[in-house]
Amino acid sequence: MKNSIKVERAKKNITQAQLAERVKVSRQTINAIEKGKFNLSTILALKIAKVFECKVDEIFELEASDWESK
Amino acid sequence: MKTHYLFPNRFKTYGWIIFLSGFVLAGLMVSLDLEPEFLDLNIFTIAAQPNFMGDPEYFSMQENNMLAEIVGILLICGLLFIAFAKEKAEDEFIARLRLESLVWATYVNYIILAISILFIYDMVFFWVLIINMFTILLFFLLRFNWILYKTNKQMEHEE
Repeated sequence: MKNSIKVERAKKNITQAQLAERVKVSRQTINAIEKGKFNLSTILALKIAKVFECKVDEIFELEASDWESK
Repeated sequence: MKTHYLFPNRFKTYGWIIFLSGFVLAGLMVSLDLEPEFLDLNIFTIAAQPNFMGDPEYFSMQENNMLAEIVGILLICGLLFIAFAKEKAEDEFIARLRLESLVWATYVNYIILAISILFIYDMVFFWVLIINMFTILLFFLLRFNWILYKTNKQMEHEE
């Protein structure tokens, strides 16, 4: 899954730490998500979208590999 | 995920104290063959085999030096507290990392045990079994904290 969290953060001038605090997770989690190393929960995705004032689909994008069974 | 099965964060410190006490005692016990008299007690046992070649006895009172038992309990409690105390910041990433580390540790533990079964014998194997009682938690701690360390290290370059 691709995400544009870093871009959105830059747009709103928010650091990883600040975003982490607003959605109540650790900074590691935000970092791991940005790096594509962690599949966040739906609830967290919705929270992040709320902070950036946009829709989940605008931040997260499915990739072909996501459709393959694990 | 609700984490009802984890200890409060401060138990990590308690765990280290308990584990290290047990570890030091274990070292002393093994190297000095310690059997302090005040720990020679009559205790209730569910199963015991007082005579090496004799029959097992069940639900009986036995005489036993309790140092080894105390060390074992200290090590187990210590490790459990350290391993399963909540992190300061608990979230879904940590929860997932904890689960994956536990699975990893279980695999590694049993692979090493399988190799030991095939290549280590007699009294040496007995020591493998003793150590094996604790290695799953040790492997878990190593893996969990290593990944955490790596993740934090990477973060230093970002903002």
